[in-house]
Amino acid sequence: MSNDRPLVLPGETIDLSLIPSHPKNPLRLGPGLRHIPPSDIVPTAAGELITNPVKNSMWVEYNSNRYIPSQNDIILAQILRSTSDFYLCSLAPHTPPATLPHLAFEGATKKTRPVLLPGQLVYARVSLANAHMDPELECVHASTGKADGLGPITGTGCIFDVSLGFARRLLMARPAQDGGLAVLEMLGGEEGGGMAFETAVGRNGRVWVGSASARTVVVVGRALQETDRGRLGVEGQRRLVKKLVREMS
Amino acid sequence: MPRDAEPSLNEKQFVITALQENLRLDGRELDQYRPLELSFGDQYGAADVQLGKTRVLAKATAEVTVPYTDRPLDGIFTIATELSPMASPAFEVHRPTETEVLLSRLLEKTVRRSGALDTESLCLVAGQKCWSVRVDVHVLSHDGNLIDASCLAVVAALRHFRKPDTSMDAGVLSVYTPAEREPVPLSWLHSPFCVTWSFFGEEGEIAVLDATWLEEQVRVGSCTVSLNKHGEICQIAKLGGTPVDAVSLLQCTSVALTKVKEFSGLLDRKLAEDLKRRDKGGFMSELRAENDR
Repeated sequence: MSNDRPLVLPGETIDLSLIPSHPKNPLRLGPGLRHIPPSDIVPTAAGELITNPVKNSMWVEYNSNRYIPSQNDIILAQILRSTSDFYLCSLAPHTPPATLPHLAFEGATKKTRPVLLPGQLVYARVSLANAHMDPELECVHASTGKADGLGPITGTGCIFDVSLGFARRLLMARPAQDGGLAVLEMLGGEEGGGMAFETAVGRNGRVWVGSASARTVVVVGRALQETDRGRLGVEGQRRLVKKLVREMS
Repeated sequence: MPRDAEPSLNEKQFVITALQENLRLDGRELDQYRPLELSFGDQYGAADVQLGKTRVLAKATAEVTVPYTDRPLDGIFTIATELSPMASPAFEVHRPTETEVLLSRLLEKTVRRSGALDTESLCLVAGQKCWSVRVDVHVLSHDGNLIDASCLAVVAALRHFRKPDTSMDAGVLSVYTPAEREPVPLSWLHSPFCVTWSFFGEEGEIAVLDATWLEEQVRVGSCTVSLNKHGEICQIAKLGGTPVDAVSLLQCTSVALTKVKEFSGLLDRKLAEDLKRRDKGGFMSELRAENDR
């Protein structure tokens, strides 16, 4: 663990052997790292240094609570109000409002655009995030014109706030192997008695849990929040799921 | 500028549908409080109350001042509440919101106007010198039910507080430092506590205790009952909202009494624990001013 994911502190010098080198691709720096020309790479946050030799990228994985939008993040936004050609959305209480154009939905034209009320939730992608500018969202893939699961969220369900690091772990392709998060699999599997639910995880630290049964939503939401707050490992998550299922049945 | 985090439509709908099935988002019963923690500081008169994620710190202080001219025989007792932006993005400095005004008025009614503190005992020289006792309430974190948490913090702080001992000798008033004489407790008459009910549903038929911030934003009405462990009601505040059946209000007050007895027991236990912690070597009883010397 300590070998492939070394801890770094802000301002530290990164050992040269840790920086990936690729014959063709340029080196890509992610969050928590800063390039100081000509050739210094300095961490700006304390956390685990993660490198990907195939994509030739590196970043610092750390947990925080304040969301700063960045491009291509999938987020859960809440509509604040509508103007003549876009919706204003809130991503987090301390983040400036983001704009979501009326036409940035799958198959939307001036006549067929979805009408969203203030307070409604949308699952969206950040299409533009520059410093000192309001971020811009979209619910459609710009090149294919498909929604890919993005769009307004309907159905019975509730939002649960989690920390940003936890939301990123949930969004990993294999959360159980890479992030040590098996709680959702357990709830849907035999430990949870095969609960039926769906989730939408936003990188802004919000998770929407939907299910036909309100009881399931409460159990899943509590499991997520308590796993995050107690920093539970896989074994702790198993105990938590068993406890919650027993309490709520 | 940070915005007040108004809940989304999905959350509002879900809270109500879940409550109709007797479910709460944190898995509590409808009449169950969140885990309540009470701790005292190193100084006398500092109480820290944690109710789930809500956290309130109250600090009592006393100074010698001139009494009000229309009440020469009474001391001065004030409660100051402050809701800072630290508690929630909705609060701003020097701009009291409705929550803050209601909180300070309810505390005033519950603790001050119910005569919990005997203000006549604060008088030192009639018309010239008296104690001014002040309690500062700081909300450190706001996750709903500020009223109950703050009231408990204020009562705990005042019961924990000790004011410097004084003596009158031939017209000369002397105030002793803690090194000279052990400080004395306030003359406390009874301990009132607030219990807040939140009502949900079309006609307010679902009554819920200790609402979280999300539930408070969705509720159709609320009712705060203040009473002491003997069941003497100090005030009932039902400020607007949906009208509620009188019978259910009666039921609410009787449940509130059991909760107040729990609070009262907790506070007594914590005060006894704190006294034991301070009483190193068992000399505290010797130092008491009310002992025969």
